[in-house]
Amino acid sequence: MSAPPADQARKTLMIVEDEVLVAILLRDELADAGYNVLDLTDRKVEAVAVAKESKPDLALVNIRLAGHDDGIELAQHLKTLGIPVLLISGQVSRARSAQTVAIGSLPKPYDAADMVVAVAYLLARLQGDHSLPKPSGLEVFEDGFDLAPAA
Amino acid sequence: MLLLDGALNVIAASTSFSEAFGMAVDAAVGHPLANLGAGEWRAPELHALLASTLTGPAKTEAFEIDLQPAGREVRRLVIHAERLAYLDLANVRILMAVSDVTDARASERAKDEALQQNMVLLQEVRHRVANSLQIIASVLLQNARKTQSDETRDNLKAAHNRVMSVAALERLLSTSEGGKVEAHAYFTSLCDSISVSLIGETDQISLAVEGDDGSVDARVSMSLGLIVTELVINALKYAFPDGRRGKIAVEYGFQGPNWVLCVRDNGVGMQPAASDRTGLGTSIVRALANQLNASVEIAPQSPGTAVSIRHTQIALVKDKDETAATPQIAPPAPSSALVGYSAKE
Repeated sequence: MSAPPADQARKTLMIVEDEVLVAILLRDELADAGYNVLDLTDRKVEAVAVAKESKPDLALVNIRLAGHDDGIELAQHLKTLGIPVLLISGQVSRARSAQTVAIGSLPKPYDAADMVVAVAYLLARLQGDHSLPKPSGLEVFEDGFDLAPAA
Repeated sequence: MLLLDGALNVIAASTSFSEAFGMAVDAAVGHPLANLGAGEWRAPELHALLASTLTGPAKTEAFEIDLQPAGREVRRLVIHAERLAYLDLANVRILMAVSDVTDARASERAKDEALQQNMVLLQEVRHRVANSLQIIASVLLQNARKTQSDETRDNLKAAHNRVMSVAALERLLSTSEGGKVEAHAYFTSLCDSISVSLIGETDQISLAVEGDDGSVDARVSMSLGLIVTELVINALKYAFPDGRRGKIAVEYGFQGPNWVLCVRDNGVGMQPAASDRTGLGTSIVRALANQLNASVEIAPQSPGTAVSIRHTQIALVKDKDETAATPQIAPPAPSSALVGYSAKE
């Protein structure tokens, strides 16, 4: 398992995912890797409330959310709050259509260990560190990246 | 089909024209084209086309216009017009062929719409498959995290890797065309995933994929991916005890319908009794190889072990000596550009 570099050890992450079993595993893997993971959410309104209160460094957002909420709409909202978004959905083409509101996409089905590596890579990129190799399977949306705030 | 004079009067009309546009031949012949029917043949673009044919390049092909007959739907027509060349220069003649493609175009549109709908459904199915695999993989890995038993943890992680092997294929298929998968991309993706989850960040063991370009049918690649997963897990489990350093190579080669897949390690080598192992991983490899009509060969190396899966559909003739011997496929050509993976990278 890839632990984040020491200066990223307490970065805060938010997971917005409607499949609770997937979300729990992600939370545990990322917490084990040293991140502070906020309470799980699966709806847009809850996620925005948590984001406003805790200002996570990165939000991992599924496109399909509970209550027919849409993850891309949530990503747009989070972007206005200055929170970068990694899309974690199997809807690859929809994720690609959101290149200006998200900084990347790791499509399902992904390995939880790959997600830890992808998160470390994106957080480093947000801080201007380009030294890490881009993980396979991760699509980086440079347009969204250019507009995202530093973590 | 209509024959027109230089003033665009109808000299002759075919029966098929009469039937297609609902007018008697007698009602057309001798009348200006513009007066046919209820005036729908007066369309300015049609007359511009014919005027151009009279004075211009003498031939116009596949010009499409919409015709609005009285009380009927708009018809889509394809017009071919040609000025006839013959000795009577004073009397120009134009032969005009009219095809009504309205129904054919509607049928094409319906087919395109059905195709589009199928694509949407396929995307939805792939999304659901991806989601389901993600849930299964999550449950297996979560159970592996919670269990106190090392053996159970290993088994659950192996099961998780099998699921991820299928998942890697699904990911590639979702972006491929024709149901084929690029072998190198697939095996590299598999090995990346296995490295991240089973090797971690140590640089004790490297995992490399070596082989040429080539694509494999989805059904075959599913089995090959599972075989690679089993053999690599097996090598990681047994070949490098006590923190021994080493390398695992996944090699493959295609020659026509024949192929060979080999997973080679430079570890401690297989114990004699181990080659008869009948664990789940070994059973899976043998069952899948059998399904692919392939043989399984386990060969000791110096050091290590090589397990080859060979599928020989056509015996290749190389020379007389080889022809007389057991038919074999050509060994995989070494890759010109080794694409390796080191967990340290």
